[in-house]
Amino acid sequence: MPTSSETRTFADRVQERRTGACRLLALSTPVRDVVAMRGSFKVYPDFAAGQDLVQDLTTMLLDKGTRRRDRFAIAEALESRGAQLQFFSDGLRVAFSGRLLRDDLPEVLAILAEELTEPLFDAGEFEKAQAQLAASLRRSMESTASQASAALSRRIYGKAHPNYQPAPEEDLERLAAITVDDVRRFHAGHFGANELTMVLVGDLDADAAEPIVRQHLGQWTPGAERATYAEHPEEEPPGKSLIPLPDKQNVDVRMGHGLPVRRQDPAYLPLFLGNFILGGNFSARLMSVIRDEMGLTYGISSSLQGITVDYEGHWQIGVTLSRENVRRGIEATRAEVQKFVEGGATAEELAEKQTTVTGRFKVDMATTTGLAAMLLRNAERGFDVGYLDRYPGEVAAVTLEAVNEAVRRYFHPDRFQLAMAGMLPQEVAV
Amino acid sequence: MQVIESETGIPRDLPEAFTYVESSGGIEAYRMKSNDLQVLLLPEAAAPVVTFMITYRVGSRNESTGLTGATHFLEHLMFKGTERFNKEKGATIFNVLQRVGAQVNATTWLDRTNYYELLPKEHLALAIEIEADRMRGARISEEDIESERTVILNEFDRGENEPIRKLYHAVWSAAFVAHPYHHPTIGWRSDIAHVTAEGLRHFYDTFYWPNNATVSIIGDFERGEALRLVEAHFGKIPAAPAPIPEVYTDEPEQRGERWLAVRQAGQLGSVMVAYKSPAALEADADALDVLSVVLATGKNSRLYRRLTDQGLTTHVFASASRFRDPGLFYVLAMLAPERTHEEVEGAVGEALAEIIETGITEAELTRAKSQIRAEEAFSRDGPFAVAGRLNEAIAAGDWKLYPTYLERINRVTCEAVQRVAREYLVDERKTVGHYIPTMEA
Repeated sequence: MPTSSETRTFADRVQERRTGACRLLALSTPVRDVVAMRGSFKVYPDFAAGQDLVQDLTTMLLDKGTRRRDRFAIAEALESRGAQLQFFSDGLRVAFSGRLLRDDLPEVLAILAEELTEPLFDAGEFEKAQAQLAASLRRSMESTASQASAALSRRIYGKAHPNYQPAPEEDLERLAAITVDDVRRFHAGHFGANELTMVLVGDLDADAAEPIVRQHLGQWTPGAERATYAEHPEEEPPGKSLIPLPDKQNVDVRMGHGLPVRRQDPAYLPLFLGNFILGGNFSARLMSVIRDEMGLTYGISSSLQGITVDYEGHWQIGVTLSRENVRRGIEATRAEVQKFVEGGATAEELAEKQTTVTGRFKVDMATTTGLAAMLLRNAERGFDVGYLDRYPGEVAAVTLEAVNEAVRRYFHPDRFQLAMAGMLPQEVAV
Repeated sequence: MQVIESETGIPRDLPEAFTYVESSGGIEAYRMKSNDLQVLLLPEAAAPVVTFMITYRVGSRNESTGLTGATHFLEHLMFKGTERFNKEKGATIFNVLQRVGAQVNATTWLDRTNYYELLPKEHLALAIEIEADRMRGARISEEDIESERTVILNEFDRGENEPIRKLYHAVWSAAFVAHPYHHPTIGWRSDIAHVTAEGLRHFYDTFYWPNNATVSIIGDFERGEALRLVEAHFGKIPAAPAPIPEVYTDEPEQRGERWLAVRQAGQLGSVMVAYKSPAALEADADALDVLSVVLATGKNSRLYRRLTDQGLTTHVFASASRFRDPGLFYVLAMLAPERTHEEVEGAVGEALAEIIETGITEAELTRAKSQIRAEEAFSRDGPFAVAGRLNEAIAAGDWKLYPTYLERINRVTCEAVQRVAREYLVDERKTVGHYIPTMEA
């Protein structure tokens, strides 16, 4: 049974090691037996050429057999230990995530390396993955939330931007044209130790983990091909996209516009706090007024979306509205956002959200998986580990003037793009 | 003060207000003498946070026609505040708790309603104070009900957008005709639209009492201090003035297969095959849990290999519900493009028949137990994950189901799995549902 909470800083506790091509961050925590693993590397797909779908397929096929073992033998090696290993295709990066019992680290890392570097890409498995992805795209066609968010992204970004989401119909067409050879070529050219980072958190010893990581991933070479991508939004004139879907009484609405901001910009934190005051949680203005006072929605929030250190993203308000409340809900939301941008936040609101954000930061780190995710995100941003120690102080130091200046400068509800999906009432469906 | 021997790890300075009941898996159980409130403590100082949770043993199982959704409606109203914490004072429950970084919310299900706060440890007192305050002090006003009604109707509509959710509810509704597991926890739309303040107030006054609740504190806290805080805030509340009503409706024995279809606009269909299964605390439920893992957890599971790996489905799940009363063991299969309901249902049936006829192998049993054991180890990762599992055990009727779960699973044999398959997975207990997309969405 663990006995005490850790009070030392992250900079002191996180062991950082260079294991050949892989940057390893290891953090020992007083949890028993369990290790959480997170990692990622950049693959640089050519978004304008539709390579994001090839990347998705390549990632799906990583655990479907290697040159040494078939998919069932690999699954057996993991499942018999109760270990899990998953891969995700995520914009510029491919990420992996695992959870395992401490003693199984050598075997799980061997499998991870084998899957990343020696996948089989069997033609039969490729066809199955293609059908799976097609099914997933078709299911997204009946999701009001997916359809509305994707439609908004198409109004804000050009096709070469990582945040652009093509219409599912378009993706289905492109998917059908991809071959297993495209996948093999993509893996050969793009997969590799490009900014490869691995985070291990839990019941582990960094000195013991280091040679295991070095043995399996230390020799992985970087991928050669690096496609360029758009870093800025490329907006259409303000307007709306309507996606009528039958049998959907709840309508998902999204409104927003591009933001010329990246995660490392000084304006980011003030803007993040300003947005949080507007719609970051249950006690923020939008939930308080549109849900709690007016009863118009079950869920409304505002967020800074898709902002990274590599490219800019957008500001988005999302609200779900029953069909009879769509027009009223949109008007009320717009009015509340306008009021916020014109009047700004109050000192009391800022103080409340500052303690919310710093307290939540502490709570998010209560699990090995939460810690691992946070350490990886921080590393991907190129920030040093000590940033996690400084972050609460930086949040607390943001002034009301800085917040309201950022809100005035960056939030423009008059430039809102609008997208909605569901059974649209007559008055908005024009 | 009552002094208890410390060999068992029980505090010497146990406040007089409590009786120590028992311990299991590091969790200590106490009972407040004055009002019968159950208190569970699990000290785990791995991170400087604590989860406070109160579980009321009331869920949609306790509702009748006309009042369906009342438990869930009430859960929403509990956030509208009390005389002490409310909007007019600029101190809603969300405001006060989220200000200190708490993750706060509540959930309602068939057998229980729980309210929880995961927060930095120095704010534990605040969570206890708020939960005690709203146990008997909730404002249930006409005005709040009207504004919340449309919120819940939107929540209902969001759920209706999802065909799989509709299929799931339709199967439960067809399988249970008398028992209240028949209706979805959110309620029928017309009941949500018409329920009155009087009806909700009556529900609150019937079920929200200390002797119908369990308080759980998990994480970084000091035992004696936590108990004193619970005493200070909950000790003032009396036990219910009347006995908490029991649910006495048993589902009549099913005597044949039931079949249904849900037609809704969409893209790809799905199939749900369900069988009446035993209550959570029955030993047979353990064998069915193992069976569900053998069937559908991981790439070596029977249904993955037979269905998903063969391109019949995109996903397939199996689950044995563990509720207070008998529930459903079910398989849910999501069809791949160009596949029919009939071929998928047929393949599921063949996989189940195989287990009924020849059972499972020792290797499958060993693998399933490893998967479950690892899952349990991971479930101890942080106070919030523990709270979630403990909550369901409390709802099922015995919190010890959580700490003793692995022992129970370890006792399961291949023979037991085949026996439960033969006993429960039979046509007399079966309900099959198809989600059939009606047009291109």
